[in-house]
Amino acid sequence: MSKVKDYMIRTMNSITPKDSIKKAIEIMYRSEQSVLPVVDEHNRFIGTIYSNNILKNIIPESFGFLDSSRLFYEVNEAVENLKEVKAEPIEIYMSENRDAVEEDSDMKKVADIMLNNKESLLFVINEAGYLRGFIERSNLLHFLLDEADNSDLTADSK
Amino acid sequence: MITTVTLNPAIDREYFVDNNEVMKNQFIYNEKDLKVYPGGKGLISAVNFKALGYHDVQNIGFVGGKQGLFFEKMVQKYDIISNYIHTEKEIRNNVKIIGRNPATYTQYNDYTYQVSTEEVQELVNRFQRSISESDCILISGSIPEGVHFDIYQRLIRIAKTKDKGVFLQGSGEALKLALAAKPDIVTPYFKHHQTILDLEMDTKKDYIKAGHKMQELGAKYVMIPFHCDRLLFDKNGDVYQLSPQEYCIINWLGASDAYNTAFLDYIFQHDFDFFEANLRGAAAALWVAENKKIYLSARENFNCCLDRLKIKKLEV
Repeated sequence: MSKVKDYMIRTMNSITPKDSIKKAIEIMYRSEQSVLPVVDEHNRFIGTIYSNNILKNIIPESFGFLDSSRLFYEVNEAVENLKEVKAEPIEIYMSENRDAVEEDSDMKKVADIMLNNKESLLFVINEAGYLRGFIERSNLLHFLLDEADNSDLTADSK
Repeated sequence: MITTVTLNPAIDREYFVDNNEVMKNQFIYNEKDLKVYPGGKGLISAVNFKALGYHDVQNIGFVGGKQGLFFEKMVQKYDIISNYIHTEKEIRNNVKIIGRNPATYTQYNDYTYQVSTEEVQELVNRFQRSISESDCILISGSIPEGVHFDIYQRLIRIAKTKDKGVFLQGSGEALKLALAAKPDIVTPYFKHHQTILDLEMDTKKDYIKAGHKMQELGAKYVMIPFHCDRLLFDKNGDVYQLSPQEYCIINWLGASDAYNTAFLDYIFQHDFDFFEANLRGAAAALWVAENKKIYLSARENFNCCLDRLKIKKLEV
């Protein structure tokens, strides 16, 4: 049985609920991760901050349905909105979901969660709830490719 | 979990050429003549711990820029948990040119990496919450520009507040300030300074004086490299000399990191025994130094060096 720990990315890149929106954005662009795990003061996973959580709160609802001149205006408005909220703690914007998987979980469970919930990334924790890293769709595809190659080998040996 | 700290990481690049000449273009076609790997003392120990079978090993520190992302990818290949503050400035590249005939070794050490005050504070915050699961913290290596010399002291104080053991390998002013936070095990390195606590290191007496001074300032146990030997200072201040016999050293790189790893490994696997742990550390360092390796593999490999090590008490 293939486990999450065989395919995951091990990293504790994270943020806490009291950290600011500005810090979250800086960590996101420097580490090239548009989703960050939110942890408590002991590094236990408590939620997720998506770049979309932030964008939704600074870009007017009508964004995306406008002509280009209106879009420019809306972007400027988003900049102004971001000035207002950048010092706010991310606890206001984070998702307090606990859809994390454990290192020893079966990779088939990850496939199930990702495909059913349309999650592109899941955070990985140990059995005590401490952050260990994440697993994303490319890792899932890697697992599926290994499964496909193994089943080819099994078929050939028959 | 084991935590190692690397504040000044580097991408190490080794180029092997037949003849390293000035003003001569070199062409490398064979991949075995080009090695690129993540460097940093704490990181090398982290790789060693993984090789010895420890499941959770994290490396905390700074990485910066696009090269920092590349560095982190290389670290993750070793299944080490990366825990880095991503800084604005790019991390370092160290370049080593190794000529075969004649045997030459040219090294370009890059000390340009800089971090900001905010990034240092973020590291301290990250360190504070990330050591919850660790019993022991290994802090080793140099510090980049922008980091105040009291950084090791700050990290050790946090670790001590959380009742963690601390092994420190440091140098210069950072080492001096760190001692006030009372690290458990201290081993200085002084290739840049040739001094410990501003004391010139020449005779064995100088080394002994420096060891005792470090204990006066707060270190519980001290180990000082003394040529190819080590001077060991137990918690009572008694001094011992650990010496290898009949050895042939062909490589220094990774030796002290192997020492630190095997020392701590012995303590993790057994009760604390300062001398037995030092013997394991020295065996690992000897194995690395004689085998042109940077990283450890299995314990059995270096344990075979144990019978060439002797410890004698010095009359001081």
